[in-house]
Amino acid sequence: MDFSALLIPFVEITLAGAIINASVHFVPVGGAPAAMATSTGIGTGTTQLAAGAGFTGLMAAATIAAQSGVDIFNPLHWAIILLSGAVGSMIMLGLTMLMGQLIYVFGVGVVPAADKCERDPITGDYQKPYITPGTTGHGVPTVCFISGLIGAALGGIGGALAYVALIQLGFSPEIAGTIAVGFFFMNAVLASYNIGGTIEGFHDPKFKKIPNGIIASFVASLLTGAIVVLMSLGI
Amino acid sequence: MSHGGGGHAAELYPENQIVAVGTLLAILGMYIAQFFPQVSMLLGGLLASAATVAGANTTRKVAAYGLGTGVPSIGMLSLGMGIISSVSGIYLVNALVKYFKVDSLVLYAIPIVVTVIALILGYIVGRLTVKPIGMKIPVMVESMTKLSLMGALSILGFCAAYAGGFLPDIIIPGSIKNGVMALAFIAAGMAILHPFNACLGPDESHRRTLTLAVACGFLTWFVFSVAKLDVISTVVSLVLWALVYREFIKQSLRDACAVYYTPELPKREM
Repeated sequence: MDFSALLIPFVEITLAGAIINASVHFVPVGGAPAAMATSTGIGTGTTQLAAGAGFTGLMAAATIAAQSGVDIFNPLHWAIILLSGAVGSMIMLGLTMLMGQLIYVFGVGVVPAADKCERDPITGDYQKPYITPGTTGHGVPTVCFISGLIGAALGGIGGALAYVALIQLGFSPEIAGTIAVGFFFMNAVLASYNIGGTIEGFHDPKFKKIPNGIIASFVASLLTGAIVVLMSLGI
Repeated sequence: MSHGGGGHAAELYPENQIVAVGTLLAILGMYIAQFFPQVSMLLGGLLASAATVAGANTTRKVAAYGLGTGVPSIGMLSLGMGIISSVSGIYLVNALVKYFKVDSLVLYAIPIVVTVIALILGYIVGRLTVKPIGMKIPVMVESMTKLSLMGALSILGFCAAYAGGFLPDIIIPGSIKNGVMALAFIAAGMAILHPFNACLGPDESHRRTLTLAVACGFLTWFVFSVAKLDVISTVVSLVLWALVYREFIKQSLRDACAVYYTPELPKREM
Protein backbone atom coordinates (compact mmCIF):
# COMPACT_ATOMS: atom_id res chain seq x y z
CA MET A 1 0.00 0.00 0.00
CA ASP A 2 1.53 3.32 -0.98
CA PHE A 3 1.84 6.30 1.27
CA SER A 4 -0.55 8.73 -0.45
CA ALA A 5 -3.40 6.21 -0.30
CA LEU A 6 -3.18 6.52 3.47
CA LEU A 7 -2.38 10.22 3.67
CA ILE A 8 -5.46 11.52 1.85
CA PRO A 9 -7.99 9.71 4.08
CA PHE A 10 -5.97 10.80 7.11
CA VAL A 11 -6.26 14.46 6.10
CA GLU A 12 -9.93 13.98 5.26
CA ILE A 13 -10.81 12.48 8.61
CA THR A 14 -8.93 15.18 10.50
CA LEU A 15 -10.76 17.89 8.57
CA ALA A 16 -14.04 16.06 9.04
CA GLY A 17 -13.68 16.27 12.82
CA ALA A 18 -13.05 20.01 12.68
CA ILE A 19 -16.00 20.55 10.31
CA ILE A 20 -18.36 18.50 12.49
CA ASN A 21 -17.32 20.51 15.51
CA ALA A 22 -17.84 23.81 13.70
CA SER A 23 -21.23 22.67 12.43
CA VAL A 24 -22.61 22.14 15.92
CA HIS A 25 -21.95 25.77 16.79
CA PHE A 26 -24.40 26.90 14.10
CA VAL A 27 -27.35 24.80 15.24
CA PRO A 28 -29.82 26.71 17.43
CA VAL A 29 -29.90 24.48 20.48
CA GLY A 30 -32.30 25.52 23.19
CA GLY A 31 -31.97 22.60 25.55
CA ALA A 32 -34.50 22.02 28.31
CA PRO A 33 -35.58 25.70 28.57
CA ALA A 34 -36.54 25.70 24.89
CA ALA A 35 -38.63 22.60 25.43
CA MET A 36 -40.75 24.84 27.70
CA ALA A 37 -40.57 27.69 25.15
CA THR A 38 -38.60 29.90 27.52
CA SER A 39 -35.46 30.03 25.40
CA THR A 40 -34.76 30.45 21.70
CA GLY A 41 -33.97 27.36 19.66
CA ILE A 42 -35.03 23.76 19.32
CA GLY A 43 -36.03 22.08 22.53
CA THR A 44 -33.42 19.38 22.88
CA GLY A 45 -29.72 18.96 23.62
CA THR A 46 -26.83 19.64 21.29
CA THR A 47 -25.80 16.02 21.08
CA GLN A 48 -29.19 14.74 20.02
CA LEU A 49 -29.68 17.43 17.39
CA ALA A 50 -26.20 17.14 15.95
CA ALA A 51 -26.44 13.39 16.00
CA GLY A 52 -29.80 13.41 14.24
CA ALA A 53 -28.59 15.75 11.52
CA GLY A 54 -25.24 13.99 11.23
CA PHE A 55 -26.69 10.51 10.94
CA THR A 56 -29.13 11.59 8.26
CA GLY A 57 -26.23 13.10 6.37
CA LEU A 58 -24.25 9.92 6.85
CA MET A 59 -27.15 7.82 5.58
CA ALA A 60 -27.62 10.05 2.54
CA ALA A 61 -23.91 9.93 1.76
CA ALA A 62 -23.76 6.17 2.23
CA THR A 63 -26.76 5.66 -0.03
CA ILE A 64 -25.15 7.64 -2.84
CA ALA A 65 -21.79 5.95 -2.27
CA ALA A 66 -23.43 2.54 -2.58
CA GLN A 67 -24.97 3.27 -5.99
CA SER A 68 -23.42 1.26 -8.77
CA GLY A 69 -21.04 3.24 -10.93
CA VAL A 70 -20.00 5.61 -8.16
CA ASP A 71 -16.22 5.68 -7.84
CA ILE A 72 -15.15 6.96 -4.45
CA PHE A 73 -11.79 8.15 -5.78
CA ASN A 74 -13.28 10.24 -8.59
CA PRO A 75 -13.26 13.90 -7.38
CA LEU A 76 -16.63 14.65 -8.99
CA HIS A 77 -18.30 11.64 -7.39
CA TRP A 78 -16.58 12.51 -4.14
CA ALA A 79 -18.13 16.00 -4.25
CA ILE A 80 -21.57 14.56 -5.04
CA ILE A 81 -21.38 12.22 -2.04
CA LEU A 82 -20.45 15.13 0.21
CA LEU A 83 -23.23 17.31 -1.19
CA SER A 84 -25.84 14.59 -0.77
CA GLY A 85 -24.74 14.28 2.84
CA ALA A 86 -25.21 18.03 3.26
CA VAL A 87 -28.65 17.98 1.65
CA GLY A 88 -29.85 15.01 3.71
CA SER A 89 -28.75 16.71 6.86
CA MET A 90 -30.36 20.02 5.90
CA ILE A 91 -33.69 18.35 5.16
CA MET A 92 -33.64 16.62 8.53
CA LEU A 93 -32.79 19.71 10.56
CA GLY A 94 -35.00 21.98 8.46
CA LEU A 95 -38.00 19.73 9.09
CA THR A 96 -37.18 19.50 12.79
CA MET A 97 -37.08 23.28 13.06
CA LEU A 98 -40.23 23.72 10.97
CA MET A 99 -42.29 21.26 13.00
CA GLY A 100 -40.91 22.67 16.23
CA GLN A 101 -41.82 26.13 15.03
CA LEU A 102 -45.40 25.06 14.23
CA ILE A 103 -45.76 23.68 17.74
CA TYR A 104 -44.25 26.79 19.32
CA VAL A 105 -46.44 29.17 17.37
CA PHE A 106 -49.76 27.34 17.15
CA GLY A 107 -49.45 24.99 20.11
CA VAL A 108 -47.66 26.97 22.81
CA GLY A 109 -48.66 30.32 21.37
CA VAL A 110 -45.40 32.25 21.44
CA VAL A 111 -43.87 34.61 18.89
CA PRO A 112 -40.50 33.47 17.51
CA ALA A 113 -37.99 35.96 18.90
CA ALA A 114 -34.23 35.89 19.30
CA ASP A 115 -32.76 37.10 22.56
CA LYS A 116 -29.14 37.62 21.61
CA CYS A 117 -29.67 40.38 19.02
CA GLU A 118 -31.58 43.64 18.93
CA ARG A 119 -32.72 43.17 15.32
CA ASP A 120 -32.75 40.01 13.28
CA PRO A 121 -29.56 40.27 11.14
CA ILE A 122 -31.37 38.78 8.14
CA THR A 123 -34.88 40.21 8.11
CA GLY A 124 -34.10 43.31 10.13
CA ASP A 125 -37.13 42.80 12.39
CA TYR A 126 -37.04 44.06 15.97
CA GLN A 127 -36.75 41.17 18.42
CA LYS A 128 -36.60 42.61 21.93
CA PRO A 129 -40.24 43.80 22.28
CA TYR A 130 -41.56 40.34 21.49
CA ILE A 131 -39.65 38.52 24.19
CA THR A 132 -41.75 37.52 27.19
CA PRO A 133 -40.21 39.03 30.34
CA GLY A 134 -38.29 36.42 32.33
CA THR A 135 -37.47 34.30 29.29
CA THR A 136 -34.58 34.35 26.87
CA GLY A 137 -36.57 34.35 23.66
CA HIS A 138 -38.69 31.61 22.17
CA GLY A 139 -39.32 29.74 18.94
CA VAL A 140 -36.96 29.55 15.99
CA PRO A 141 -36.62 33.02 14.39
CA THR A 142 -35.37 33.45 10.82
CA VAL A 143 -31.74 34.01 11.77
CA CYS A 144 -31.69 30.85 13.88
CA PHE A 145 -33.35 28.88 11.08
CA ILE A 146 -30.76 30.00 8.52
CA SER A 147 -27.95 29.36 10.99
CA GLY A 148 -29.35 25.90 11.68
CA LEU A 149 -29.43 25.11 7.96
CA ILE A 150 -25.79 26.18 7.59
CA GLY A 151 -24.88 24.03 10.57
CA ALA A 152 -26.75 21.05 9.18
CA ALA A 153 -25.02 21.41 5.81
CA LEU A 154 -21.61 21.52 7.49
CA GLY A 155 -22.51 18.57 9.72
CA GLY A 156 -23.63 16.53 6.73
CA ILE A 157 -20.43 17.36 4.86
CA GLY A 158 -18.35 16.44 7.92
CA GLY A 159 -20.13 13.14 8.45
CA ALA A 160 -19.93 12.27 4.75
CA LEU A 161 -16.24 13.20 4.66
CA ALA A 162 -15.47 10.87 7.58
CA TYR A 163 -17.45 8.09 5.90
CA VAL A 164 -15.75 8.63 2.54
CA ALA A 165 -12.32 8.65 4.18
CA LEU A 166 -13.06 5.31 5.87
CA ILE A 167 -14.34 3.81 2.63
CA GLN A 168 -11.21 5.03 0.82
CA LEU A 169 -9.10 3.28 3.43
CA GLY A 170 -10.78 0.07 2.36
CA PHE A 171 -13.27 -0.56 5.15
CA SER A 172 -16.55 -2.19 4.25
CA PRO A 173 -19.60 0.14 4.44
CA GLU A 174 -20.86 -1.41 7.71
CA ILE A 175 -17.60 -0.83 9.53
CA ALA A 176 -17.10 2.60 8.00
CA GLY A 177 -20.60 3.58 9.11
CA THR A 178 -20.09 2.29 12.64
CA ILE A 179 -16.78 4.10 13.09
CA ALA A 180 -18.15 7.27 11.49
CA VAL A 181 -21.05 7.29 13.96
CA GLY A 182 -18.71 6.99 16.92
CA PHE A 183 -16.44 9.62 15.44
CA PHE A 184 -19.37 11.95 14.82
CA PHE A 185 -20.60 11.62 18.40
CA MET A 186 -17.18 12.30 19.84
CA ASN A 187 -16.77 15.55 17.93
CA ALA A 188 -20.36 16.68 18.41
CA VAL A 189 -20.10 16.27 22.18
CA LEU A 190 -16.77 18.10 22.29
CA ALA A 191 -18.50 20.97 20.50
CA SER A 192 -21.46 20.89 22.86
CA TYR A 193 -19.12 21.11 25.83
CA ASN A 194 -17.50 24.10 24.19
CA ILE A 195 -20.91 25.74 23.79
CA GLY A 196 -21.89 24.80 27.32
CA GLY A 197 -25.60 24.19 26.92
CA THR A 198 -27.51 26.53 24.64
CA ILE A 199 -26.67 28.64 21.61
CA GLU A 200 -28.83 30.60 19.19
CA GLY A 201 -26.69 30.54 16.07
CA PHE A 202 -23.95 32.57 14.49
CA HIS A 203 -25.19 35.83 16.03
CA ASP A 204 -24.81 34.50 19.58
CA PRO A 205 -21.80 35.86 21.56
CA LYS A 206 -20.97 32.24 22.48
CA PHE A 207 -20.25 31.61 18.80
CA LYS A 208 -16.91 33.42 19.29
CA LYS A 209 -15.70 30.40 21.28
CA ILE A 210 -15.71 28.35 18.07
CA PRO A 211 -11.87 28.28 17.61
CA ASN A 212 -11.40 26.40 20.90
CA GLY A 213 -13.85 23.73 19.82
CA ILE A 214 -12.28 23.39 16.40
CA ILE A 215 -8.77 23.04 17.88
CA ALA A 216 -9.99 20.40 20.34
CA SER A 217 -11.72 18.42 17.60
CA PHE A 218 -8.75 18.81 15.30
CA VAL A 219 -6.43 17.24 17.87
CA ALA A 220 -8.90 14.49 18.75
CA SER A 221 -9.47 13.74 15.05
CA LEU A 222 -5.73 13.72 14.39
CA LEU A 223 -5.40 10.96 16.98
CA THR A 224 -8.44 9.10 15.64
CA GLY A 225 -7.14 9.48 12.10
CA ALA A 226 -3.81 7.96 13.09
CA ILE A 227 -5.55 5.05 14.81
CA VAL A 228 -7.88 4.49 11.86
CA VAL A 229 -5.06 4.58 9.29
CA LEU A 230 -3.07 2.02 11.30
CA MET A 231 -6.23 -0.07 11.61
CA SER A 232 -6.71 -0.12 7.87
CA LEU A 233 -3.53 -2.19 7.55
CA GLY A 234 -5.35 -5.01 9.33
CA ILE A 235 -8.23 -5.41 6.89
CA MET B 1 -22.44 20.34 45.04
CA SER B 2 -25.81 20.52 43.40
CA HIS B 3 -25.27 22.42 40.19
CA GLY B 4 -26.79 20.04 37.76
CA GLY B 5 -27.71 16.83 39.42
CA GLY B 6 -27.02 17.08 43.10
CA GLY B 7 -25.27 13.76 43.26
CA HIS B 8 -22.34 13.22 45.58
CA ALA B 9 -24.53 11.61 48.16
CA ALA B 10 -22.62 9.20 50.39
CA GLU B 11 -20.96 6.60 48.21
CA LEU B 12 -21.84 3.01 48.87
CA TYR B 13 -18.65 1.70 47.28
CA PRO B 14 -15.64 3.79 46.20
CA GLU B 15 -15.72 4.60 42.49
CA ASN B 16 -12.30 3.15 41.73
CA GLN B 17 -13.29 -0.15 43.28
CA ILE B 18 -16.34 -0.39 41.01
CA VAL B 19 -14.27 0.57 37.95
CA ALA B 20 -11.63 -2.05 38.76
CA VAL B 21 -14.20 -4.77 39.34
CA GLY B 22 -16.11 -3.78 36.20
CA THR B 23 -12.95 -3.88 34.07
CA LEU B 24 -11.81 -7.24 35.40
CA LEU B 25 -15.24 -8.85 35.05
CA ALA B 26 -15.75 -7.52 31.52
CA ILE B 27 -12.33 -8.76 30.35
CA LEU B 28 -12.96 -12.10 32.04
CA GLY B 29 -16.29 -12.26 30.22
CA MET B 30 -14.59 -11.78 26.85
CA TYR B 31 -12.15 -14.61 27.51
CA ILE B 32 -15.00 -16.86 28.64
CA ALA B 33 -16.87 -16.00 25.44
CA GLN B 34 -13.75 -16.83 23.44
CA PHE B 35 -12.85 -20.15 25.05
CA PHE B 36 -16.35 -21.45 25.87
CA PRO B 37 -18.52 -20.29 22.95
CA GLN B 38 -21.40 -22.48 24.17
CA VAL B 39 -21.95 -20.18 27.17
CA SER B 40 -20.76 -16.99 25.48
CA MET B 41 -24.05 -15.17 25.86
CA LEU B 42 -24.91 -16.60 29.25
CA LEU B 43 -21.65 -15.70 31.00
CA GLY B 44 -20.06 -13.27 28.55
CA GLY B 45 -23.19 -11.15 28.38
CA LEU B 46 -23.64 -11.21 32.13
CA LEU B 47 -20.05 -10.12 32.72
CA ALA B 48 -20.19 -7.48 29.96
CA SER B 49 -23.07 -5.82 31.81
CA ALA B 50 -20.59 -5.26 34.68
CA ALA B 51 -18.83 -2.75 32.45
CA THR B 52 -22.06 -0.80 31.84
CA VAL B 53 -22.69 -0.71 35.60
CA ALA B 54 -19.22 0.70 36.22
CA GLY B 55 -19.75 3.19 33.40
CA ALA B 56 -23.07 4.29 34.87
CA ASN B 57 -21.36 4.78 38.21
CA THR B 58 -18.67 6.99 36.68
CA THR B 59 -21.35 8.92 34.79
CA ARG B 60 -23.00 9.59 38.13
CA LYS B 61 -19.78 10.93 39.57
CA VAL B 62 -18.93 13.30 36.71
CA ALA B 63 -22.44 14.39 35.74
CA ALA B 64 -23.24 15.41 39.31
CA TYR B 65 -20.99 18.43 38.77
CA GLY B 66 -23.36 19.70 36.10
CA LEU B 67 -22.19 19.34 32.53
CA GLY B 68 -24.45 22.03 31.12
CA THR B 69 -25.46 19.82 28.22
CA GLY B 70 -27.34 17.06 29.97
CA VAL B 71 -26.22 13.65 31.15
CA PRO B 72 -26.81 11.86 27.80
CA SER B 73 -24.01 13.83 26.15
CA ILE B 74 -21.30 12.24 28.26
CA GLY B 75 -22.75 8.77 27.77
CA MET B 76 -22.69 9.25 24.02
CA LEU B 77 -19.16 10.63 24.15
CA SER B 78 -18.13 7.59 26.15
CA LEU B 79 -19.61 5.22 23.59
CA GLY B 80 -18.20 7.25 20.70
CA MET B 81 -14.69 6.84 22.09
CA GLY B 82 -15.50 3.27 23.04
CA ILE B 83 -16.56 2.21 19.57
CA ILE B 84 -13.45 3.72 17.99
CA SER B 85 -11.17 2.01 20.50
CA SER B 86 -12.90 -1.36 20.32
CA VAL B 87 -12.99 -1.55 16.52
CA SER B 88 -9.45 -0.24 16.26
CA GLY B 89 -8.16 -2.70 18.87
CA ILE B 90 -9.44 -5.61 16.79
CA TYR B 91 -8.00 -4.26 13.54
CA LEU B 92 -4.69 -3.05 14.98
CA VAL B 93 -3.85 -6.46 16.38
CA ASN B 94 -4.99 -7.97 13.10
CA ALA B 95 -2.62 -5.58 11.31
CA LEU B 96 0.25 -6.73 13.51
CA VAL B 97 -0.38 -10.31 12.47
CA LYS B 98 -1.09 -9.66 8.81
CA TYR B 99 1.28 -6.86 7.98
CA PHE B 100 4.18 -7.24 10.39
CA LYS B 101 4.01 -11.06 10.60
CA VAL B 102 3.84 -11.23 14.38
CA ASP B 103 2.92 -14.59 15.89
CA SER B 104 -0.85 -15.09 15.79
CA LEU B 105 -0.87 -15.78 19.53
CA VAL B 106 -0.93 -12.00 19.95
CA LEU B 107 -4.57 -12.04 18.79
CA TYR B 108 -5.55 -13.28 22.24
CA ALA B 109 -4.42 -9.93 23.67
CA ILE B 110 -7.19 -8.00 21.88
CA PRO B 111 -9.13 -7.11 25.08
CA ILE B 112 -5.92 -5.78 26.64
CA VAL B 113 -5.07 -3.74 23.53
CA VAL B 114 -8.60 -2.33 23.45
CA THR B 115 -8.24 -1.38 27.12
CA VAL B 116 -4.98 0.45 26.44
CA ILE B 117 -6.30 2.31 23.37
CA ALA B 118 -9.46 3.30 25.24
CA LEU B 119 -7.40 4.64 28.13
CA ILE B 120 -5.16 6.70 25.81
CA LEU B 121 -8.06 8.06 23.74
CA GLY B 122 -10.11 8.86 26.85
CA TYR B 123 -7.20 10.61 28.52
CA ILE B 124 -6.45 12.79 25.50
CA VAL B 125 -10.10 13.71 24.89
CA GLY B 126 -10.42 14.42 28.61
CA ARG B 127 -7.44 16.77 28.46
CA LEU B 128 -8.98 18.47 25.42
CA THR B 129 -12.22 19.16 27.30
CA VAL B 130 -10.23 20.89 30.02
CA LYS B 131 -7.97 22.86 27.64
CA PRO B 132 -8.80 24.45 25.18
CA ILE B 133 -12.52 23.87 25.77
CA GLY B 134 -12.40 24.84 29.44
CA MET B 135 -14.73 22.52 31.34
CA LYS B 136 -14.37 23.38 35.02
CA ILE B 137 -14.93 19.91 36.44
CA PRO B 138 -12.06 18.69 38.63
CA VAL B 139 -12.56 14.98 37.89
CA MET B 140 -13.06 15.49 34.13
CA VAL B 141 -9.84 13.88 32.85
CA GLU B 142 -9.98 10.78 35.01
CA SER B 143 -13.72 10.38 34.44
CA MET B 144 -13.30 10.62 30.68
CA THR B 145 -10.56 8.00 30.83
CA LYS B 146 -12.77 5.65 32.82
CA LEU B 147 -15.84 6.31 30.66
CA SER B 148 -13.93 5.66 27.46
CA LEU B 149 -12.67 2.40 28.94
CA MET B 150 -16.14 1.32 30.06
CA GLY B 151 -17.66 2.22 26.71
CA ALA B 152 -15.05 0.17 24.87
CA LEU B 153 -15.32 -2.81 27.21
CA SER B 154 -19.09 -2.92 27.15
CA ILE B 155 -19.22 -2.73 23.34
CA LEU B 156 -16.52 -5.34 22.88
CA GLY B 157 -17.98 -7.47 25.66
CA PHE B 158 -21.45 -7.64 24.15
CA CYS B 159 -20.08 -8.08 20.63
CA ALA B 160 -17.82 -10.92 21.76
CA ALA B 161 -20.72 -12.49 23.62
CA TYR B 162 -22.88 -12.27 20.52
CA ALA B 163 -20.27 -13.57 18.10
CA GLY B 164 -18.85 -16.18 20.48
CA GLY B 165 -15.32 -14.84 20.67
CA PHE B 166 -13.15 -11.82 20.04
CA LEU B 167 -10.71 -13.19 17.48
CA PRO B 168 -10.92 -11.10 14.28
CA ASP B 169 -12.12 -13.98 12.12
CA ILE B 170 -14.98 -14.60 14.58
CA ILE B 171 -16.02 -11.12 15.65
CA ILE B 172 -15.70 -9.28 12.31
CA PRO B 173 -18.23 -11.42 10.43
CA GLY B 174 -20.16 -12.34 13.59
CA SER B 175 -20.72 -8.95 15.16
CA ILE B 176 -19.30 -6.06 13.18
CA LYS B 177 -20.26 -6.72 9.57
CA ASN B 178 -23.84 -7.65 10.42
CA GLY B 179 -24.35 -4.42 12.33
CA VAL B 180 -24.74 -5.86 15.81
CA MET B 181 -22.09 -3.38 16.88
CA ALA B 182 -24.55 -0.55 16.23
CA LEU B 183 -26.92 -2.25 18.65
CA ALA B 184 -24.09 -2.53 21.17
CA PHE B 185 -23.42 1.17 20.66
CA ILE B 186 -26.88 2.37 21.54
CA ALA B 187 -28.01 -0.34 23.98
CA ALA B 188 -24.86 -0.16 26.08
CA GLY B 189 -24.99 3.63 25.75
CA MET B 190 -28.46 3.67 27.25
CA ALA B 191 -27.32 1.45 30.10
CA ILE B 192 -24.46 3.84 30.83
CA LEU B 193 -26.27 7.15 30.59
CA HIS B 194 -29.78 6.30 31.74
CA PRO B 195 -29.35 5.38 35.44
CA PHE B 196 -28.05 8.72 36.60
CA ASN B 197 -30.19 10.62 34.13
CA ALA B 198 -33.26 9.02 35.66
CA CYS B 199 -32.22 9.20 39.30
CA LEU B 200 -30.55 12.61 39.53
CA GLY B 201 -31.97 15.14 41.89
CA PRO B 202 -31.56 16.43 45.41
CA ASP B 203 -32.33 13.11 47.07
CA GLU B 204 -30.34 10.94 44.69
CA SER B 205 -28.90 7.96 46.52
CA HIS B 206 -26.04 5.82 45.36
CA ARG B 207 -27.83 2.60 46.21
CA ARG B 208 -30.83 3.45 44.06
CA THR B 209 -28.76 4.62 41.09
CA LEU B 210 -26.61 1.50 41.26
CA THR B 211 -29.69 -0.72 41.46
CA LEU B 212 -31.07 0.90 38.34
CA ALA B 213 -27.65 0.59 36.69
CA VAL B 214 -27.64 -3.15 37.36
CA ALA B 215 -31.19 -3.41 36.03
CA CYS B 216 -30.19 -1.54 32.87
CA GLY B 217 -27.16 -3.77 32.44
CA PHE B 218 -29.37 -6.86 32.62
CA LEU B 219 -31.81 -5.29 30.19
CA THR B 220 -29.00 -4.72 27.69
CA TRP B 221 -27.96 -8.33 28.17
CA PHE B 222 -31.59 -9.34 27.57
CA VAL B 223 -31.68 -7.38 24.30
CA PHE B 224 -28.58 -9.19 23.09
CA SER B 225 -29.91 -12.58 24.22
CA VAL B 226 -33.05 -12.00 22.19
CA ALA B 227 -30.97 -10.86 19.23
CA LYS B 228 -28.95 -14.07 19.44
CA LEU B 229 -32.10 -16.18 20.00
CA ASP B 230 -30.42 -17.72 23.03
CA VAL B 231 -33.35 -19.07 25.09
CA ILE B 232 -31.51 -19.77 28.35
CA SER B 233 -29.85 -16.34 28.50
CA THR B 234 -33.11 -14.64 27.58
CA VAL B 235 -34.97 -16.28 30.44
CA VAL B 236 -32.15 -15.82 32.96
CA SER B 237 -31.60 -12.17 32.05
CA LEU B 238 -35.30 -11.41 32.14
CA VAL B 239 -35.69 -13.02 35.58
CA LEU B 240 -32.64 -11.20 36.95
CA TRP B 241 -33.83 -7.93 35.46
CA ALA B 242 -37.29 -8.36 37.00
CA LEU B 243 -35.79 -9.08 40.42
CA VAL B 244 -33.49 -6.06 40.35
CA TYR B 245 -36.10 -3.75 38.87
CA ARG B 246 -38.57 -4.76 41.55
CA GLU B 247 -35.98 -3.84 44.14
CA PHE B 248 -35.47 -0.50 42.36
CA ILE B 249 -39.19 0.29 42.44
CA LYS B 250 -39.33 -0.61 46.13
CA GLN B 251 -36.44 1.74 46.88
CA SER B 252 -37.99 4.51 44.80
CA LEU B 253 -41.30 4.19 46.61
CA ARG B 254 -39.54 4.18 49.96
CA ASP B 255 -37.54 7.30 49.11
CA ALA B 256 -40.43 9.15 47.50
CA CYS B 257 -42.74 11.45 49.40
CA ALA B 258 -46.45 11.76 48.88
CA VAL B 259 -48.08 15.10 48.13
CA TYR B 260 -51.47 15.28 49.84
CA TYR B 261 -52.35 18.91 49.26
CA THR B 262 -51.37 21.46 46.67
CA PRO B 263 -52.08 25.02 47.72
CA GLU B 264 -53.28 27.54 45.16
CA LEU B 265 -50.70 29.89 43.74
CA PRO B 266 -50.76 33.28 45.51
CA LYS B 267 -52.68 35.91 43.58
CA ARG B 268 -49.75 38.32 43.62
CA GLU B 269 -46.11 38.26 44.63
CA MET B 270 -45.70 38.32 48.43
